[in-house]
Amino acid sequence: MSWMETPELQRMERFLDVAALRQSLVSSNIANVDTPGYRTRDIDFEKEMQKAISAPNRTPDPVVEEVSGLIERPDRNNVSVDRETMLLAQTQLQFQTGVALLKQEFKRLAIAITEGKS
Amino acid sequence: MNLFGILDVSGSALNAERQRAEIVTSNLANAETTHTADGGPYKRQMVVFETKTPSASSFGKTFNGIRKEYAQGVTVQNIVADSSPPTQRYEPSHPDADKQGYVSYPSINPVEEMAELMEAARAYQMNVAAVQATKGMITASLDILR
Repeated sequence: MSWMETPELQRMERFLDVAALRQSLVSSNIANVDTPGYRTRDIDFEKEMQKAISAPNRTPDPVVEEVSGLIERPDRNNVSVDRETMLLAQTQLQFQTGVALLKQEFKRLAIAITEGKS
Repeated sequence: MNLFGILDVSGSALNAERQRAEIVTSNLANAETTHTADGGPYKRQMVVFETKTPSASSFGKTFNGIRKEYAQGVTVQNIVADSSPPTQRYEPSHPDADKQGYVSYPSINPVEEMAELMEAARAYQMNVAAVQATKGMITASLDILR
């Protein structure tokens, strides 16, 4: 680990990775809202974050699962529009929060570099 | 999958839904068409959607190494014609009438088509919302550079 790579930076990076992965799954679910037989897929956000924090140097290998408990249509598609639009907004805000925290951390490093003179 | 790849997923859905809207509008336009190039009345068309794992560009593949692809887009796999029999209407003076005076009209229900058109439009709008959300995330990550 270099001096630049603080644990906070690493954590925020992984947080952004997991959020981006979730965004890709939510987008897939929305894209396939009318595909017969398509099943809603998602990750367990908390579990993935815990995995990332406990082993920060391992290559991420997320578990993508089918979501259970959704109402199924006759064509076996079970995408819920409400669920996906809520997650869409949530993931976007989570990502932006992560970016803001990451920027804050960089700012902190910059303060150290400039010896407190900003 | 990077954030730009997510745009491709939503883009594939925009494309598919647009094609579906095109097919539905041509069904509506030809609801009374009794004469086609293949002979007989117009046949109602339907799109068949299928999931499609987006193929990464060679640049993307090299860049990401052997990273697994989780996202799935959508594509129009096939356009099939409805096989239901045409509706017969008694119009003896019509040029396409048969010997008994009946004309074969396509079995298209405008209400059904309008409902499907609305469905396609709503799905399109939802994917546009997804594109905007992803765009917001890309803009936010560009903000790190500032």
